[in-house]
Amino acid sequence: MPPGGYFGKALLVDLSAGSSRSESIEESVLRSYVGGVGLGAWLMHSYCPARIDPVDPRAPLMFVFSPMVGTPLTTSAKFAVVAKSPLTGRLTDALASSHFAIAGKLTGHDAIVLRGACREPSVVVIDRDSVRTEPAPDLWGLPAAQAEARLRDRHGPAWRVAAIGPAGERGVRYATISHDGRHAGRGGLGAVMGSKWCKAILVRAGTKVGSADPAGVLAAARELRKRSFGAATAKYRELGTMANLLAFNAISTLPTRNFSAARFEGAPALGAEEIADLRHLARNSCASCSIGCEHIYRGPGGTQARMEYENVFALGPLCGVSDADAVIAASSRCDELGLDTISTGGTIAWAMECVEKGLIDAPWLRFGNPEALLRAIEQIGAREGLGRLLALGTRAASQEVGRGSEAFAPHVKGLELPGYEPRTLQAMALGLAVNARGADHNRSGAYEADLSGAHDRLMGGEAHVAGAIETENRAAVMDSLILCKFLRGVFAEGGRDPLAEWARLLKLVTGWDVDADELATTARRIVLAKRLFNLREGWTREEDWLPDRFLSESLKLESGRTATLTATRLEAMISAYYRERGLDEAGVPDPETVGKLSLHGLMGSEQIGAKVG
Amino acid sequence: MAQAGAIVLAGGKSSRMGSPKAALEWHGSTLLRRVTGIVARSVDGPVVVVSAAGQALPALDGEVEVVADEREGRGPLQGLAAGLAAIGDRVDVAYVSSTDVPLLHPVFVRRVVGALEDTVDVVLPEIGGFRQPLSAAYRIDLLSTVEELIAADRMRPAFLFERSRVLHMSEDDLLEDVALARLDPALASVSNLNERADYERAHALPAPEIPVEMFGPLATRSGTRRQIVPAWSLGAAAAGVHVALDEHVVAALNGDKITRDPELPLVSGDTVAFMVADAGG
Ligand code: SF4
Repeated sequence: MPPGGYFGKALLVDLSAGSSRSESIEESVLRSYVGGVGLGAWLMHSYCPARIDPVDPRAPLMFVFSPMVGTPLTTSAKFAVVAKSPLTGRLTDALASSHFAIAGKLTGHDAIVLRGACREPSVVVIDRDSVRTEPAPDLWGLPAAQAEARLRDRHGPAWRVAAIGPAGERGVRYATISHDGRHAGRGGLGAVMGSKWCKAILVRAGTKVGSADPAGVLAAARELRKRSFGAATAKYRELGTMANLLAFNAISTLPTRNFSAARFEGAPALGAEEIADLRHLARNSCASCSIGCEHIYRGPGGTQARMEYENVFALGPLCGVSDADAVIAASSRCDELGLDTISTGGTIAWAMECVEKGLIDAPWLRFGNPEALLRAIEQIGAREGLGRLLALGTRAASQEVGRGSEAFAPHVKGLELPGYEPRTLQAMALGLAVNARGADHNRSGAYEADLSGAHDRLMGGEAHVAGAIETENRAAVMDSLILCKFLRGVFAEGGRDPLAEWARLLKLVTGWDVDADELATTARRIVLAKRLFNLREGWTREEDWLPDRFLSESLKLESGRTATLTATRLEAMISAYYRERGLDEAGVPDPETVGKLSLHGLMGSEQIGAKVG
Repeated sequence: MAQAGAIVLAGGKSSRMGSPKAALEWHGSTLLRRVTGIVARSVDGPVVVVSAAGQALPALDGEVEVVADEREGRGPLQGLAAGLAAIGDRVDVAYVSSTDVPLLHPVFVRRVVGALEDTVDVVLPEIGGFRQPLSAAYRIDLLSTVEELIAADRMRPAFLFERSRVLHMSEDDLLEDVALARLDPALASVSNLNERADYERAHALPAPEIPVEMFGPLATRSGTRRQIVPAWSLGAAAAGVHVALDEHVVAALNGDKITRDPELPLVSGDTVAFMVADAGG
């Protein structure tokens, strides 16, 4: 019997052979890696052939669920999509929320692993253990939402669909996978799915999953739901993450014109506080969520888009664009094409700077020009004209362009930076540099430490290292359980220990006698399991680093202080991070750490791809 | 530029005031809390309070260090020696202040410290016809000279100035600094309080007018994004716009320091931004 919350098995689908089978996952693995990104990391060690090209048919694409999915706990309808990223060549894991999580898990599996490739544009239909592919040439080329709607019309409303847009079909390295209007956004998972000629995956619930203590889970869910209406989530309910924009602008952390500045004079024209009255249409929420942070805005010509801080920052200030119509239209177009807005904005902003410096011949592509932004997005989605270069992301594109353009290509490990300026958030600078996924604000929430006032955010040092580690650990647990990050304030308010809160919930669902200490160890294990995957794929210490721009150019704050992040300071923080994480100078876990965290199984090449085939 | 710290001498007798100056109430805070807060805002390095042995001090910011001067009652040179000894291994320069200057402005401190060039040991403002040794910057290397003077019982600051390279700064010199001329044109930074009446007069002055900006739900709830409120401290600014400085809120001072310390002193020219503590997104 698997523990509560789990089925204890993964569904392995071979698209080339048209076959599938279930394989059991031992309870010890479930307890060690929990679910979501943690279990995904373990599965990648097991099922991904070493050093494989991310778009090789044999490379796996995984949909990984969690013990909380299917429970009444608020925000638990989430899953992780995990693969080797075509953008970074390293592990990528994107979370998304929707009914797909519930239906996918209730096929009776803790994970669905797709390997191989279809022979033609197809959809994969998974009904419990039965898997079939159906040719779908009529869907190829459609936006994900349209493909999803057609498939649900065709198959019936009980089916839940995850689909790619045209960008995924064309292999744009930062293409997304979408469902219910939500996106598994980062790292190019859509391109992996497109490389398998897989337009969509359909799942429907066919079984049930139990909890160890159903009454306890229900009571905890009621209590959590009540708490989720409190002050800790007010921002998300009232304005959504868009509330970050003007606040970040005021404290010089709003990346502007490809990170050449941290304050944007056009920010008020994009701030939720300023434009919500005129443009806000509705508030929605993901499946099973009592918070509802999705805020829908009106765009030009009757268009609508879900506006979040990250898409507004990336398509607005980062590209110097202050026209709200253009930013909403750009965001909505990225959704249709299936493009990650952060990488899209980052890549276009980099190209705009290249044009300004005479490194790319595209005089139309200027900072601040809304038409240019929209035109560039079309070209990327179509992989035409300049879009052929920009579809590679900033790392590969800057290597192609050369002539110093690498210095201001805003990426870590190939993943474009999110909207947090590292020079004025120096714990975040470390978090961005060392994270396995690349420059990322979801797996590393170190900006929280910077914005807590506990340390001087401009002077990275020991306190920043501790802050970066603590937030990275917490994210590893939340992203494996999986519960929405926007609930994290609820778990911490009033001096609560979030790890103890999460352990209590996990215990109610699974029946394990798990406590905060065990979850703290689990967090460390998950963080290092991802690092070990990257190591296996050829990672070296040089990849834990920030682009030169951040280490050679200072920023002036309104207070008159200058924010400078030197290479020496970053190096010192990274070394301290390694020491604290039990890594040697090369960034590899030392034997003691491997022993303490039971990572033996993930070390050494003899294990690599053991379960492949 | 040299790394600068600050020394606040809190051990004086306060005999004319009638009660210890350090603990005097200052609009929800205390004089010492205010002055240490202002110097902390003005220098990058540590802030050290020199107290008399056994002296009870009001609550201070956790970062502020306190050293007790065992040989009390011997005047400012004695306190200076204790402060320089406590801070000396970490900074090159110290701004030295008395406790009783609630109108001290960070731009004044920065102006004085910034004038301490390689060829200078002491930057000594002269304001209203008086030298201001307790509103001055001292090179840390002076410690040995100060100790020699103490050993020789030559306890007046003037003896130290005889033996060091002093840059005298007149009011005009000081006010060449545009920011200082704008924010503290009367050089009230050095106005000290000796008697009860001085304190009462200063206490009755209007508070600095602080532009306060609110973000996110704080703005939508209050119906306004910007207000100007009179406030001597962050707590007063928060109260002025009806924001509770609880765990769900943080403030940014001048777009820089993030804090929710209600006793953080505010001065003219400051701006405050209140935002929700959860920056996720
Ligand atoms: S808070 Fe927002 S992102 Fe999180 S589950 Fe709810 S609607 Fe989805």
